[in-house]
Amino acid sequence: MHIPDGFLPLWQTGIYYIITIIALYFALNWAKENLDEKRVPLMAVLAAFIFAMQAMNIPIPWGTSGHMLGAALVAIVFGSPWAAVLVLAVVLTVQGFFFGDGGITALGANILDMGVIAGFTGFGVFKALQKLNLWVAIFLAGWASIFVASLAVAIELALAGTFPYDLGLIFMGLYHAVIGIAEGAITVVAILAIQKVRPDLLHWNKTKSGSEVGK
Amino acid sequence: MKAKDKKFVIGGLIVAIIIAILAPFLASSDPDGLESAAEKILLVEETEPMFEAPLPDYLVPALGESPLGGAISIVIGTIIAFLAMVGLATTARWFKSNSNDS
Repeated sequence: MHIPDGFLPLWQTGIYYIITIIALYFALNWAKENLDEKRVPLMAVLAAFIFAMQAMNIPIPWGTSGHMLGAALVAIVFGSPWAAVLVLAVVLTVQGFFFGDGGITALGANILDMGVIAGFTGFGVFKALQKLNLWVAIFLAGWASIFVASLAVAIELALAGTFPYDLGLIFMGLYHAVIGIAEGAITVVAILAIQKVRPDLLHWNKTKSGSEVGK
Repeated sequence: MKAKDKKFVIGGLIVAIIIAILAPFLASSDPDGLESAAEKILLVEETEPMFEAPLPDYLVPALGESPLGGAISIVIGTIIAFLAMVGLATTARWFKSNSNDS
């Protein structure tokens, strides 16, 4: 759902850049306080994984495809949506500048949608449902993160006069409700994999025991 | 870096690079959700990108639209994303150690 150049008027891209820069300020402050020697490499591995996964478009019906965002994954692993903002900002910036995926003028909006909104939605759903069932919570966090982000894109494009409101929300919501199933499934598999090889890297294992597991 | 962290990084990077190599062979070339919606309901004219990216659309221009060029460019991107994340996260930590000194 990378917005290209030309879909948003420049003054609106400016507003999204300002919101994103404010979010990045908070995200960097979070990083300053919370990243330690082993969480820097964890974050970098997640950025590499998400970059590669975003190139893997999964077919859905209606001659359409989609890829995961990864924001919910990062937010859950690190126990903070700010981590998702940072990782997605890096991934989307690399995509925009090196691969022409997502417009440079729309980069602020793209980080807002796929980093901030997806990250906070995924983390919020995870927190709300965590106690009911951990893995269901993770799946639904992944699903909701991309679904809500796609609605945000539809609203931005409607405000810009690029998409009609109703059809924009319907098409974006419908496609990403389906792509969200893949997002949820990949989020579960990725966290299961980390849980298996390095449970101490998962935030909830850090907080649950007070000290770190497997040290 | 501790040995087990190094192992995790190497293992994680191998997984990411395998996905990157396979992506152009396995990925659907159908338009994504936003492109697909745009094909149906776009109210404005599509415009050219503001600047020409060095590897546009995850392809190496010299290799044309081959999955090989796709694999090469996605592997390059995966490594750039890894290094950029290390750089940004390390810079953030550097600010912390600096503010502690003062």
